[in-house]
Amino acid sequence: MSELREPCVPGLFSEENGPSLLGARCRCCGTPYFPAPAHCRSPDCAGSDLEPHAFSGGGVLWSYSVANFAPPPPHKFDAPFKPYVIGVVDLDQGLRVVGQMIGTADDMRVGARVDLVIDPIYHRDGKAFTSWKFRLA
Amino acid sequence: MQEVVVLGVGMHRFGKTGDAIVGNKSVTELCRAAVDMALKDAGVSWRQIEAVSAASSRFSGGKGWGLNGNDIVEDMGSTGIPVYNLSAGCAAGGNAFNVGYSLVAGGIHDMVLVVGGEVMPKGMIQTSGLDDVNDPEFLRQACVGMPGPTFWSTLARRRMYDYGTTEEQMAKVTVKARQCAVGNPYARFQKAVTVEEVLASPYVSDPLRLFEICPVSNGAAAAIICSAAMARRFTRKPITVATSTVATISFDDALPRSLAGPVPAGSSFHTEAKSAVMRAFERSGIGPREISFTELQDNTCYYELAFPEEWGLCDEGEAERLVEAGDTAPTGRMPINPSGGFVSFGEATTAMGVFQIAELTWQLRGEAGARQVPNARVGLAQTNGLGGNATAAILKR
Repeated sequence: MSELREPCVPGLFSEENGPSLLGARCRCCGTPYFPAPAHCRSPDCAGSDLEPHAFSGGGVLWSYSVANFAPPPPHKFDAPFKPYVIGVVDLDQGLRVVGQMIGTADDMRVGARVDLVIDPIYHRDGKAFTSWKFRLA
Repeated sequence: MQEVVVLGVGMHRFGKTGDAIVGNKSVTELCRAAVDMALKDAGVSWRQIEAVSAASSRFSGGKGWGLNGNDIVEDMGSTGIPVYNLSAGCAAGGNAFNVGYSLVAGGIHDMVLVVGGEVMPKGMIQTSGLDDVNDPEFLRQACVGMPGPTFWSTLARRRMYDYGTTEEQMAKVTVKARQCAVGNPYARFQKAVTVEEVLASPYVSDPLRLFEICPVSNGAAAAIICSAAMARRFTRKPITVATSTVATISFDDALPRSLAGPVPAGSSFHTEAKSAVMRAFERSGIGPREISFTELQDNTCYYELAFPEEWGLCDEGEAERLVEAGDTAPTGRMPINPSGGFVSFGEATTAMGVFQIAELTWQLRGEAGARQVPNARVGLAQTNGLGGNATAAILKR
């Protein structure tokens, strides 16, 4: 754990006080957002009153897929490419979010409980670049 | 509103850069072949074309600005006509058809060329063209890495969970598609495959396999459309455009297109496609059960199962049974993609909306040969594109 960690894109998630996704929620209509937009985007919301919201905790795996081949840029990965699972997760806090899964396709099942984690997705220049992922609970 | 008809269509056979079909032809050469064929089919000269509605490509030609219609006009001979370049991701060909249709229907022009063509880069499509953290598609690829096929396999996996769909049933969709393409002179793949061969092909994105996902292709398609009044000077048997529609995604769509969305109340997938198709039914007064056959965007076999149900062509959860009974074949009761579809052609992204118009026209004229839908009277076409774009068209004889 001595490796230097850096977010693959800054400002989207945090590891302090447990892993969380830095989004927003509209005070008017309750719509959750990740990442945070400048305004509420719901066409049914007359107002727009966004407050920052850190989404964290568990959820349910809605569905999943596998990247059996390396995606094209701008995705970055450690060579040699290893297939990874991508989950679509319904967080208990009301957000449906995509993210890489820790584990193989054989471990996955739709409806499984998962937890949000922050984990490296690739390494460059002696640093681990992190993103959010999900782990089976 | 003027009634709009399709007077002529043309296509360059789809292929892969360097093969015997398309070799190293430029997108302009491919489009030229399709346009020449469409003009000849229509009995119209280039000088009679009053406007061009073209699909904008991100991948080839267009001077890097998506000015693909301008390339075609320069190549055919600059006659000073207006050119409309339409961008809608993979739905661009459908959008180009819609704008051409709207120009004729609205009485702005009487004779319009609609065209789309592509020379595609090898491999999986790089969905984000930007290196910009404000671009949601960039974030999706940088933070997660979701190549196009994983979007489809996520949906396919969920369908397996919801309806018990098996990998063998999905393979049967491909077997049907490739059987349709046998003898279709424009298809890239013209050889039938077996369920065993499909299931032996490697996963591109588990649970979807190589033979179940359309590759990228080079190809082009063109259509000459005009007012019904003008058509009488050229043909006794024009194909009528009952309607053409465009739609975009709804806020309540259940599958995040960027990183996240609200957990949805229901399962409203592909809201852009559904809106376009429902509007088409509404505007034409033609219902889903009156459709003789459908050309839909089968980037993967999953869509041949999901879309017919979402649009009311059949009942929910019924699609697998229809496939297994042969009902989605050209001779079945709900023919889907008699051309062979994207799975047999490969996707020349922005050409596809026009490719569908050509196939609908051949089918409705009864010129589709071995893949002919018996007594085809009404055809439905649908495309989807990045950005939450979709189009639909209904043609009838």
